[in-house]
Amino acid sequence: MRVLCLMTDAFGGRGGIAQYNRDFLAALSGIENVEKAVVLPRLIADSVFQLPAKVIQLQPSLNPLAYSVRALLTALRYGPFDIIFCGHIRMCALAWLLAKLVKKPFWLQIHGIEAWENPTDVQEMFVRKAALILSVSRFSRKKIISWAAVDPQTVKVLPNAVDISRFKPGPKSESLLQQWGVKNCQVLLTVSRLDTSERRKGHALVIHAMPELLKKFPKLRYVIAGTGSDQSFLERLVQKNNLQNEVILVGQVEEALKPDLYRLADAFVMPSKKEGFGIVFLEALASGIPVIAGNKDGSVDPLRDGENGCLVDPDNLQDLIGAIEKQLLKTKNEIVAASTFSFSNFKKYLSTILALNRQ
Amino acid sequence: MCGITGIFSYHYAARDVSREELRSIRDHMAARGPDGKGEWFSQNGKVALGHRRLAIIDLTKTGAQPMSNEDGSLILVFNGEIYNYRELRKELETQGVRFFSSSDTEVILRLYEEYGEYACSKLRGMFAFALWDSKKNALLMARDPSGIKPLYYADDGWTFRFASQVKALLKSPAISKEPELAGITGFFLLGSVPEPFTIYQDIRALPAGSAMWVTATGSLPFKKYFTFNQAYRQGLAHAQKIKSRDVKEYIQAALQDSIKAHLVSDVPVGFFLSSGVDSSLLLALTAQAQTQTGPIQAITLAFDEYAGRPEDEAPLAKKVAASCNAKHFIYRLARSEFYEELPKIFEAMDQPSIDGVNIYFISKAAKACGLKVALSGIGGDELWCGYSSFSVVPRLRKLCFLPSLVPFAGELFRYFYEIFLMPFKIFHPKFAGLFKFGGSTEGAYLLKRGLFMPWELAQFLPQEDVSKGLSRLGLQDRLKSSLIPDPGSDFARISILESQWYLRNQLLRDTDWASMAHSVEVRAPYVDTVLFGKLVPLLAVMKMTGNKSWIGNYFQDCMPQELIRRKKTGFTIPMSVWLHEKLKGKQMTRNQSKLWARTWAQSVFNGAAA
Repeated sequence: MRVLCLMTDAFGGRGGIAQYNRDFLAALSGIENVEKAVVLPRLIADSVFQLPAKVIQLQPSLNPLAYSVRALLTALRYGPFDIIFCGHIRMCALAWLLAKLVKKPFWLQIHGIEAWENPTDVQEMFVRKAALILSVSRFSRKKIISWAAVDPQTVKVLPNAVDISRFKPGPKSESLLQQWGVKNCQVLLTVSRLDTSERRKGHALVIHAMPELLKKFPKLRYVIAGTGSDQSFLERLVQKNNLQNEVILVGQVEEALKPDLYRLADAFVMPSKKEGFGIVFLEALASGIPVIAGNKDGSVDPLRDGENGCLVDPDNLQDLIGAIEKQLLKTKNEIVAASTFSFSNFKKYLSTILALNRQ
Repeated sequence: MCGITGIFSYHYAARDVSREELRSIRDHMAARGPDGKGEWFSQNGKVALGHRRLAIIDLTKTGAQPMSNEDGSLILVFNGEIYNYRELRKELETQGVRFFSSSDTEVILRLYEEYGEYACSKLRGMFAFALWDSKKNALLMARDPSGIKPLYYADDGWTFRFASQVKALLKSPAISKEPELAGITGFFLLGSVPEPFTIYQDIRALPAGSAMWVTATGSLPFKKYFTFNQAYRQGLAHAQKIKSRDVKEYIQAALQDSIKAHLVSDVPVGFFLSSGVDSSLLLALTAQAQTQTGPIQAITLAFDEYAGRPEDEAPLAKKVAASCNAKHFIYRLARSEFYEELPKIFEAMDQPSIDGVNIYFISKAAKACGLKVALSGIGGDELWCGYSSFSVVPRLRKLCFLPSLVPFAGELFRYFYEIFLMPFKIFHPKFAGLFKFGGSTEGAYLLKRGLFMPWELAQFLPQEDVSKGLSRLGLQDRLKSSLIPDPGSDFARISILESQWYLRNQLLRDTDWASMAHSVEVRAPYVDTVLFGKLVPLLAVMKMTGNKSWIGNYFQDCMPQELIRRKKTGFTIPMSVWLHEKLKGKQMTRNQSKLWARTWAQSVFNGAAA
């Protein structure tokens, strides 16, 4: 089986979607019947050192027109393909065209908010043509079924996976404790981009919860990792609440330090409202950290409806305070691991879906 | 007839099944099965099946469900009746299969062991079942060809849940009440919610005549194991001209075979008798065949206000019952009782529907008579061309075909109607859609059967919801595709539309919820694939007129002459007046009486949905 993958980014890319795509390609590479997966990315931010076997990643094209032309040429040059995999809903029309051209089905991958509302009626028409839609969460699945007249049986959930050999419980990193001045403190952590458009991650709510929490946990600190356009807003909010010593914005943390970053925390908190899935929850869970998430989006999936962590109303401050207090009092051995979302489960599930496609 | 449910946490990330959840869904269906309840949970905690039992065949504990095979690898929950279970059992026994009970449930289990999913096509009867195959780690769901028994499901991407009732599934905290606009607009266009939609986004119906597997990746596409289109085509290919004098004999033999099959029961079976041809014929043929041991019990629903008037069903029904030596019970419905029961009717109504109230009361009467099972004449009109649609739809199509080819003629006529004709209130508002829909069989059918026209919905639903709902529903495309492959004649096309839309989504659904509310099983000998297969070659060559007096004429000796000539009145007339007076607090005008179903639809929607 040969798969042509139209993706925004994969190897050399940053963020949750790139990570998902890498897992998807690595899984394809490990499936016996897959002969080849050719990836055409829109961008590559970092250097790419090694690709999984059977995976070919071509040079990126950011320009939509150039990308489309290259996709057509790739379909002809590297084909024949059995599946056209469309990694983003905005490339649906192109995927449909290629699928028509090679007379094979196309699959659509949906992640989060990009698939929650109907972009346009034309786009909906192309979404309907997908032979299979893979969604990262039940929430995104429900959303796309609500606006696109697709057969629900063609929408399957393939959740994000977490690398449990990399993210695992361990001692707090001395150097990070020193660097951020949180030694002997209890640490709340959020890891995410700080884009203005992503203000719904819930940082502000956690900051508003801090004064109340500090009364009970005076050595509590809130570490915010990530950068983005919303940083200055958060800094102002911290100042306004006079929490300069208690809330620490540590900026972008390099990939290699991430396992240590999670282990530093006593609770991972992100009462988000627009999460497609939230791979950071899995990384925190795999690191043995209690997790608190919002109950109104895809976050309920990594938390398995509350079995893996605590779900709160992301609009309710008291709900959040109560949940944090509860989690901070938990001992480590009460924490559930994230092994459900292992890469091997991800791969096995994808393999079953591919087998269905062959039938 | 029973209530079935189940939960399958098929995804690797899904949590184990909650016992409380299964029980709360199951026990919401207590009226469907007051005689017993059962449950089964898999050892790994990922699968659960639940059952409420109305014991009719094999009243002992060996007929209880969920039922498993010897090694426990197959577990079955089943709702319905298999009328050929004795024949199938004999056939299996000759192949060396051993049985441990005398129930029809076990026959399904054994058939599956022998034939896998192809077992469905061997069953004669009404059924909806779910069978867990632990060797395959998969669940098989199936529903009878006509859609007599319901089966609804919800698949959230991790966990699959199913039940015999929509409202039972809503007992699960994981299933939301978010509206499905396709189902809602469908209800207002047709008067019932068209499958596979329900009025909730999370819940869908397994289409009639389909089987579906649910595996580790969730529900797979339906497999149609029976279509009426194919059956019609086969029937037409074997169309036979039977001599007039032999027609009666031929029909009688086919009907008696179906009646005999539908009388299979370990409890007494009664009859719903109106003053119409269908139910009278059923009763008369049963009496002639003398297949029943003991006296036949017939029940008629009549209205206090009609006593002594021509609309009264009771006197004619009484004559028929007397000629068949049946024990006859007339249940007179008073206005006060109707008002009193209205909240219970809304509660029992699983999906909004503009009909079913009559079945509700006659089932109540059957229960009062101590009956658990009754035969009904439902489905006769589809078979004998009793609906005026059989003559009106072809005429409409011929009349409108050419004008409908003119670009924008449909829209222009609609505006013409709205500006010049509507103020006079002479024509029904559906008249506006004459050239928009009348030019095709499916469009003309929509005109004939429709409740509201699509453009009228915005009068009481938000415009945005209407547009979205109509687009998701795609009613005309669905109507059109139900005629593919083309069954080959006008009679067959309209019969298919009536069977697959009106009968399936309205009459059979109403029969189910309304009878189940009183724990009564209603059987429909006219809705039988074997009977259908026998009659189609004959009906295909007969000239149908939209009037079923022809069938009455063949069986003149079975029923009074005035019954054959009697115009169809139905049960709706007094109820529409009562409803109007209850809702509006004043008497109904003539114009309002033409449109009463529309007023009722809105009340039902608000009442049943709430």
